[in-house]
Amino acid sequence: MKNTILKDDALNKIHSLKKTDILVGIPSFNNATTIGHVVRAVQAGLSKYFPDRKAVIVNSDGGSTDRTVETVQDAAIEDFESILVTHRKEPVLKITTPYHGIPGKGSAFRTIFSMADLLHAKACIVVDSDLRSITPEWVELLIKPVLNGDFDFVAPLYLRHKYDGTITNSIVYPLTRALYGKQVRQPIGGDFGFSGDLAAFYLSKDVWDTDVARYGIDIWMTTTAIANDFRICQSFLGAKIHDAKDPGADLSAMLYQVVGAAFDLMEEYPREWQAVTGSEPVPTFGFKYAVGLEPVSVNVQRMIDRFRLGVRELTDIWRKFLPVEVIDYLLSAAELPDAEFSFSDEAWTGIIYSFALAAHIKAINREHLLKALTPLYIGRTAAFVRETGESDAQQVEEKIEGLCRLFEDKKHIFSENWQI
Amino acid sequence: MNAMQKIIFEPFAKSVDNILVFLPNIMTSLFIFLAGLVVSLALKIILEKVFKAIGLNGFAIRLGFHELLKRGGITDAFSTLLAKFTGGVIFLIFTLLSMRALEVNILGKLIEKFLFYLPNVVIALLILLAGWLLGNFLGRTVLIAAVNAGITFSRFVAAFVKYLIVTLAVTMALEHVGIGKETVEIAFAVLFSGMVFALSLAFGLGGKDIAKEFLEKKLKENKEQHGDGISHL
Repeated sequence: MKNTILKDDALNKIHSLKKTDILVGIPSFNNATTIGHVVRAVQAGLSKYFPDRKAVIVNSDGGSTDRTVETVQDAAIEDFESILVTHRKEPVLKITTPYHGIPGKGSAFRTIFSMADLLHAKACIVVDSDLRSITPEWVELLIKPVLNGDFDFVAPLYLRHKYDGTITNSIVYPLTRALYGKQVRQPIGGDFGFSGDLAAFYLSKDVWDTDVARYGIDIWMTTTAIANDFRICQSFLGAKIHDAKDPGADLSAMLYQVVGAAFDLMEEYPREWQAVTGSEPVPTFGFKYAVGLEPVSVNVQRMIDRFRLGVRELTDIWRKFLPVEVIDYLLSAAELPDAEFSFSDEAWTGIIYSFALAAHIKAINREHLLKALTPLYIGRTAAFVRETGESDAQQVEEKIEGLCRLFEDKKHIFSENWQI
Repeated sequence: MNAMQKIIFEPFAKSVDNILVFLPNIMTSLFIFLAGLVVSLALKIILEKVFKAIGLNGFAIRLGFHELLKRGGITDAFSTLLAKFTGGVIFLIFTLLSMRALEVNILGKLIEKFLFYLPNVVIALLILLAGWLLGNFLGRTVLIAAVNAGITFSRFVAAFVKYLIVTLAVTMALEHVGIGKETVEIAFAVLFSGMVFALSLAFGLGGKDIAKEFLEKKLKENKEQHGDGISHL
């Protein structure tokens, strides 16, 4: 069957290449300032750790107008001797190709999966094009578990500031861990390793005209791999520093996209997650080390005010699907003095599961539902920041672990209500 | 005897003749009326079961119909109400047909006028319904967006949007049924223009210092927001 995803240019290069051991995919859109570094780091990693393996770098571009594609083609390590002891036997081929379909990271990944499938790649990785902290070691850590034949999916494990990734820490990680039973710490990390078989499996799914193609690809890849019993592990990559996204980026839009995608996947795999109780750790590779991270400033007062505004104006909407005791809790939380502001793990767990149930039964318009979560999330984050002000990373991680166990404990109630 | 025949018996016989001529029409009319009663009742029962089976009650709860009906003191489920309404419309049609069967000229003309006017009423009701639904939906959308943007008077903004759309729908519905057409149009135009003018004056002249303070505060907040260093993902 004729491949209609890839352009003739890319198809010709694939036919001349025939097959590859390793494929590195880099989706991009106007990333000229950072993608050069990413490509060079990948080239160095491939040369250093897989000098005998055939490798290809694929840049799947969304129509950049800032010379991103040219930067990829020109990117090269001038002085290999300063960073490598041995050299590759053959150069790494670079293919840049535009992607088709709905604009978004998912469509870019579909192109990468398609190339991996056509080239019969044994191991693949995808990395973001705006990474500033990527090192050649990332290539080894994401590829080796797959190339050794032990695993199909490698999730990233980053060192992050205790206040970074709060959507992951308070919603996505506890929820996916409780639902699917695997302790994948960063399910929406963005940089993954996977086998050629898993790439072919991803490609077989008919999701490319849905929200997955726009913004749900990360959570979709992780959840699909877990729910379909692929072998999962994670690798410690160190700090993740990337270009700051638009600082005005709408938080409610982020919640809508990420949480919405997680809820959609619950509809896709109800039998799988209802059969799971508890969770188990996944094998972790890489040498964990601590490194100083830049301090993060947080305006807790503003967050508390936003929460109170939400309670004042949105309680009538929340009453349609939140239990009475949760509503009462929120009303009393809004009355707390700033210095005593808190948001219990029990209430938060109940809220997330109630929202998931409301999405399942279509209690109200989906966009209204997910965006109405924003003030609650802001309140929860404010309480978390206030309570962990003096805590170190280890103590914060223990607090998150406590939240995860609560999600697991309360899952059976949620599961029973799902059936009704 | 001749006088008695002329004054009493002949008019009586004529009346009886007229009744006998009219009797088939009455019988037909009665038959159509009774048939309409039976059909509308049967249809109401069947439709109620069908509407329940296709989940119309859940749909009505999600759209907020159920709440609106409760506020209006109606406790029937939406499927029951819709079935009753449909049955009622069918019964009305049969009633009109039964009146036509009497073949009384004036009655026929009245029925014709009513039947021509009925679609306008139905469309007006649909416009009101659509306006109410849209007003509710957009009002809630604006409320959530305004709260998420930190606007303290978000409820006022949402109510303004909702009732603006509902008012527009009412105006269109009244225009459609031809009630006070020009008066309603002018009243709406005056009201709307007045609101816009008042807001412009308030912000442009009377509230310019407040507006300036508000904008400066918002710009400062945005700067602080950008300085809010949390990366949520």
